[in-house]
Amino acid sequence: MSDQTEKEPNWKQDFPIERTQSTKVSRRDFARFLCLVSGGLAAGSAYVAVKANFFPPEEVKGEHFVCKAMEVPLGGTRSFVVEGSNIPYILIRLEDGNWRAYEQKCTHLSCAVYYKPGSGQIVCPCHEGFFDAMTGEVLAGPPPRPLPALEVLLNGDDVYVKAASPGHNKNITLKT
Amino acid sequence: MSNFKDAQNKAHPNKTNTLMSALIVILILNVSMQIWLLYTGLNNALGQNRDIALPAFIASLVLFLIGFFWLYFLPMGYRKNKKK
Ligand code: FES
Repeated sequence: MSDQTEKEPNWKQDFPIERTQSTKVSRRDFARFLCLVSGGLAAGSAYVAVKANFFPPEEVKGEHFVCKAMEVPLGGTRSFVVEGSNIPYILIRLEDGNWRAYEQKCTHLSCAVYYKPGSGQIVCPCHEGFFDAMTGEVLAGPPPRPLPALEVLLNGDDVYVKAASPGHNKNITLKT
Repeated sequence: MSNFKDAQNKAHPNKTNTLMSALIVILILNVSMQIWLLYTGLNNALGQNRDIALPAFIASLVLFLIGFFWLYFLPMGYRKNKKK
């Protein structure tokens, strides 16, 4: 009757794929997309490998003064930063007199951790991660790695930190 | 000249559908392994254990290449015969 029926409808111009073929279109695209994701993941791994082997994270150099020992009560903490970096650290004076210093960033998703006085545990409030305050090891929760530690040195009444000596991730025990 | 593609294009839809599903399953498997490799490599690199990162990358790359050449076997669906 009219030429309406003879003309192809508009949607056919937008999607010029035959019915038999159309069942495969989305799955072909999906397979290609998976391949793209795969390439992205390979690129991500390459980035990690390059970064790990050629640009290792900088170590804290030298010793840094934090505070006077008397400023931190037993079971108390103090946060500090080391000159020339903006990583937050936390200094802990455990109830048994040991000093510890850790990065204050949870190894799970970088929330700020705090020391729970009296428990010997460092707590991450975000997803209930628990670390051993003596060693930095993970006790419970999602964090995959122990907290990076600094070594605490006492010089008279002054508290200093320096990079933990290699092969010895634990802080030395210092009694006061 | 004919190659397996011509035969594949003439195959019954049931056949190519199965093939397509198999290809996609393999690709998903590859991608999950790569996610795991990336996660492990990153975790170890951050934990001062750098030796894992390079092998993880190589494995990931191999998986990607496998997936990439895998696409060659993707059924094309029915082509209108353009010649003629
Ligand atoms: S960020 Fe600390 S447990 Fe998730």
